[in-house]
Formats: sequence, C-alpha cells, structure tokens
Amino acid sequence: MTVHVYQAQPVFDGVPEQELIYAVQAGNMQAYQQLYKRHCNKVYSLAYRLTGDHGMAEDATQEVFIQLWQKIQQFSGESKFSTWLYRVTSNITISYMRKQTSWLQRVFSKEDFPVHEPEVQDASISLDALIMRLPKQARIVFVLHAIEGQRHAEIAQTLNIAIGTSKAQFHRAKILIQEWINHV
Amino acid sequence: MSKPRLEADQQLQQAIDVLPDHQPKRDLWRGIEDNITNHAAPATSSNGLYAIAASICIFAVLGYMSVLQLTGSAIIQPQQPNANVLATLNHDHQIQKQALLVQFADANAVTDNWQEQLNELDRAADAVKAALLNAPNNPALLQLLQSIYQQQIKLIETVHVPKWQRV
Repeated sequence: MTVHVYQAQPVFDGVPEQELIYAVQAGNMQAYQQLYKRHCNKVYSLAYRLTGDHGMAEDATQEVFIQLWQKIQQFSGESKFSTWLYRVTSNITISYMRKQTSWLQRVFSKEDFPVHEPEVQDASISLDALIMRLPKQARIVFVLHAIEGQRHAEIAQTLNIAIGTSKAQFHRAKILIQEWINHV
Repeated sequence: MSKPRLEADQQLQQAIDVLPDHQPKRDLWRGIEDNITNHAAPATSSNGLYAIAASICIFAVLGYMSVLQLTGSAIIQPQQPNANVLATLNHDHQIQKQALLVQFADANAVTDNWQEQLNELDRAADAVKAALLNAPNNPALLQLLQSIYQQQIKLIETVHVPKWQRV
C-alpha cells in the first residue's frame, strides 16, 4: 500500500470547499495543496480509466493540477466544483493522450506500440479490469458517459466525433462488459 | 426493454456505483508545486516532445552553422557526397516502403489509424528534409531522418504482422 505524506497546513483542514476555493483564487498555495489532497485520487482515477495506464494517469493528474491553478479563476461557482473539476480533468487528460500519440513519441520511444494488458489484481475480475480491456475509444466514451455522467453531445464535441458514434461506442462498450461479466 | 437486459443494466450500474478510487503510486504534489512556483514546463511530464525535437533540429542546424563559421575559408564548397546520401536514403526508403505496402495491400491491419500515423511520420520526415536544405551535411539530421524512415517501416510491418507470427 502506498502512503503519501501531505504537508498541507492544518489550518485548512475541515474548511468548507467554497472557502478553500476563494483562498486558492486569492493565490494561497497551502489552500491549493488542501484542495489537491481532497481531489487527487478522484482526478487520478478518472485519468487512469481514460488512459488505461498508471504512468500516463500520474502525468495527466499533474498536468490537471498545474493547469487548474490558472483555470480556477474561471470557476464561478454556478456548478458544483467537483463536477467542474472532473470536466476539466477529462478535457486535459484527453488532450494529453493526443499529445502522447504524436509522431515524436514514435520517433523517440523504444516501444512503438505499447500494449496495455488488463491489470487483474486478484482472482475476481473487477469492473475496472473490464474497462481496461475495452477498445480505446469505447473505453473513453464509456468512462465519460456511464461513470462521469456526461451527455453524448458533450462527449462527441470533446472527442471530435459524431453524437451517433458516441452512442454506438457506448452501446458497444456496455454489451462487451456485460458479456464479459456473464462469462466470468 | 427486456427483463434480462434490464437486469444486466442494473447489475452494471451497481458495479459502477461502487467503483473504487485509485491512488497514484508516487508523490505528485512536489512536481505540481515546483511547476507552479517556477512557472516552468512540467518537470515530470513527457509531453514536451515537440520542444525536444525542435531543440534537436535547432541545435543541429546552429551547431553546423557554427562549425561552418569556425572553419571559414577552409570550406570552399558544400560537400556534394551527402546530397547523394540523402537522395539514396530517400530513394531506398521509398522503394522499401512501396514494396511493403504492395505486399500488405490485402492484409488486415491491427489498428485503424495506421495510415494516419504513417502520414504523421511523413510530415516529420518532410520537416527534417527542410532542415537538411540549410544543413545538407549535418549528420544528426540525417540520422534523425533515417530513424523516422525506420519507424515507418516498423509501423507498416507491425500493424500487418502480429507479434505472434513474427516469433
């Protein structure tokens, strides 16, 4: 089990989220560390399910919190912060994934086509392990729609695909997962 | 909706509802804080590859120009042989690439977007060739071009011949 030692100042422990956000918007780094501490695992989990790779998910999570420091000024409080944050996370992670598949990666990388094997950590097959077995686009659509609750129109816009494609990919993902569950 | 389908959807939704959170294996905060504090590029991110490539090209060209300036009159005219090397490299690669494309014309590819990837590598090669116009004798650029060509050949082979067939 990995244990992280966070050094967020106790003064922000238990502070309501909205006050924390005000402090961050005012440039308080200690408040930002507390905000990171509260949302890090959720952001990382979403990035992991989108990328299917722990290393990429860690890089994407860092990228999210680096960009969030600037973007948080845009958060007006009209929606729930976590909802807004996870939208930002999915956009940044997908953008990050696109960069990772650029030609330069292939020019400089040792492995041209890394294969992400599903991580089965114990005898039982978890839903996460099944999600990792999905084809890339179907996985991303499934994660955004079924887990994050995004509408197909939003997903289509993010991925630059047709709404019908998003629906078809979700249906495909759902059927595949249900078949795999039934065959366990 | 049929009853089995409804039950399957409910079962899936229940699994989604109890999905656990994952935890990063390394401490990410230090890199985030350093980056924000220093306003520098992400220290641990590998997405600066464009910058790396651009830097390689720029340093290669600048390095070559510096050598030209230092040697000054010693270099009377560009060395023609490397122009031939470039032409030979391009020619041989095109023949090899076309032969492979013909060979695998009827074969199924394991990925959908391999041609898009091939085109990206073409654009990369074009960028290096453009840099070679200014520095035709630069060995680093020639090696980079050769590396890109090798990537193209490997790409065509890899997407058409699964690993288990190559063992």
